[in-house]
Amino acid sequence: MASIEIQGVGKSYGAMPVLHHVDLSIQDGEFVVLIGPSGCGKSTLLRMIAGLEGITSGAIRIGGQVVNELAPKDRDIAMVFQSYALYPHMTVRDNMSYSLRLRGTPVERMTSVVSAAASKLGLDALLDRKPRTLSGGQRQRVAMGRSIVRQPKAFLFDEPLSNLDARLREQMRVEIKKLHRELGTTSIYVTHDQVEAMTLADRIVAMNGGVIQQVGTPLDLYERPTNLFVAGFIGSPAINILEGRLRCDGERRSVEIGSGERISTAPLAHGHDGQDVRVGIRPEDVQISPKADGGPTAHVELVEPMGLGTIVHIRATHHALKAFVLERVDYPVGTSISYELPASKLHIFDAMTGQRFPE
Amino acid sequence: MTTVPLYEESAHRKHTPWRRIMLAVEPYIYIAPSVLLITMIMLVPLVIGLSYAFRDIQLINPFSGGFIGLEHFRTLWTDAAFWHSMKNTLVWTFASVVLQFAFGLVLALLLNNPFPGRGIVQALVFLPWAVPTFLSGLNWAWLFNPVVGPLPHWMAALGILSAPENILSDPSLAMWGPIAANVWWGIPFFAITLLAALQSIPQDIYEAASIDGAGPWRRFTDITLPFLAPTIAITVLLRTVWIANFADLIIVMTNGGPADQTQIVSSYIFTQAFRRLDFGYASAVAMVLLILLLAYSFVIILLRQAMLKR
Repeated sequence: MASIEIQGVGKSYGAMPVLHHVDLSIQDGEFVVLIGPSGCGKSTLLRMIAGLEGITSGAIRIGGQVVNELAPKDRDIAMVFQSYALYPHMTVRDNMSYSLRLRGTPVERMTSVVSAAASKLGLDALLDRKPRTLSGGQRQRVAMGRSIVRQPKAFLFDEPLSNLDARLREQMRVEIKKLHRELGTTSIYVTHDQVEAMTLADRIVAMNGGVIQQVGTPLDLYERPTNLFVAGFIGSPAINILEGRLRCDGERRSVEIGSGERISTAPLAHGHDGQDVRVGIRPEDVQISPKADGGPTAHVELVEPMGLGTIVHIRATHHALKAFVLERVDYPVGTSISYELPASKLHIFDAMTGQRFPE
Repeated sequence: MTTVPLYEESAHRKHTPWRRIMLAVEPYIYIAPSVLLITMIMLVPLVIGLSYAFRDIQLINPFSGGFIGLEHFRTLWTDAAFWHSMKNTLVWTFASVVLQFAFGLVLALLLNNPFPGRGIVQALVFLPWAVPTFLSGLNWAWLFNPVVGPLPHWMAALGILSAPENILSDPSLAMWGPIAANVWWGIPFFAITLLAALQSIPQDIYEAASIDGAGPWRRFTDITLPFLAPTIAITVLLRTVWIANFADLIIVMTNGGPADQTQIVSSYIFTQAFRRLDFGYASAVAMVLLILLLAYSFVIILLRQAMLKR
């Protein structure tokens, strides 16, 4: 087990930069999830930590040691691939013990370590099978078994659940979390699935365009997204973003949406009258009620029942909103509805920079 | 009829015995043209050719042609030239296949790494395969000729030969001339097929192995070779059969000489049939070669199946 320090790391392919000056420090035993859209550089960063990609600039330290020039095998890390990358001509047992064999581990110790890992992952009955005879979930387990037998300094996961169906993904997610709790090994996990990120991570690193956007606990990112990208990427159903103009009226601040409609906001330290802003509000924070109670009104455009709750799409004069309610409502299309956007739940971003307004 | 049965059922019931026979025969009628064609251009000549082995057919003797049973095979059993060509076939085939395979594998491994200009190099590497064997045989014969070719001088300079002489006229070395030409000509076959197999190995398996601690040599023995094994088995089988049958280069370069030292079974067949015009005896030799190669292929196919099952 070890901490991982990433200092000013950059990567470019020829003249094409894919990572810009990434700084990140990962504590010993921490579970960190790198999340972002395809091409944001998260997998490249992971592969640089593993030693599968060269480092153009900066330094990576594992357990205090600079590993920039070390071969993957000398970094003492283990990686789980999206495709599992099992050795098809070896049995499950041989797949799991391959790294130990290469290190000349005595046979008795190898046998005991492999069978301990196998029973932890429920693979005991499959040890003599070839990978092609296994199901996707079983292969995934073998790939994890291959990683844990070596007790490496860190686990690296590269979208390990992407090839599984939804139910299995949910199940494996729980198993990975349990395994991490048991072993306490430093883990870096790359995914584009925000549910995986929210549920697994001690800290999430949101990336876009080769730049880290925000680092924080899952709820940090959810409740205080630092910019429009993070606000839009984290959360499902996605956050509502409204275009507007900041209005300053003495101490009071409000945002004018379209022509006329005003939403009052919590006090803001920054911003000037007439500044272009974006207002974000999570669907579950939009309060709707079919009774006219004097607030602004809109009409129902679409109702999506989700079992757990309902997503109601409403349209006001100048904008459309999604509201998520836990009740099972079934408003007919066109129903007039009044809604409220509580000031404390609004996220205000600068339209120019996309950055959150400091409160 | 007052009720109308379903169309399908009525169709079944209405089958007369004649129609039922026609339905059973129908698929065979469809494949008949190709079966006829194959029979006419492959099976008939094969059977006629095999029948020659049991007849006394000499083109220069108008009274020959009679059935002589196993007489040719008895002659063959005591024919020292045949046994000698048998031994030469083994040397020729083994040396050619091993060298072609070794160089082809090295070439494929080199071409599997990206480097600038790889596309052009790949195209050039596959060029020998496009050269007619007759031409490459002539070329190599000239290369080995000290009057026009550089090879004897180079080999003498390197100390491989004591004097710049033509190895094709040296009975103890002559076989290496056609083998060299054959290796040059056949490397691309192995390079192409092995390169294709190499490129089908997923990259992340190598990455997983390098993280597991495997260096370049262990990655080659533990991953590359097991992945290539089925391809290696089938290409070596094919090449062995082709090379054992492959007399062109020998006929062009040495004509079996000097003193029959480069005569392999298939060039011996050619010599018997078209030089001595003894078709009957040539057919008998050909039949023996056919049976040997069939037996060899059968063993290799069994081996491959055992390997795939594992």
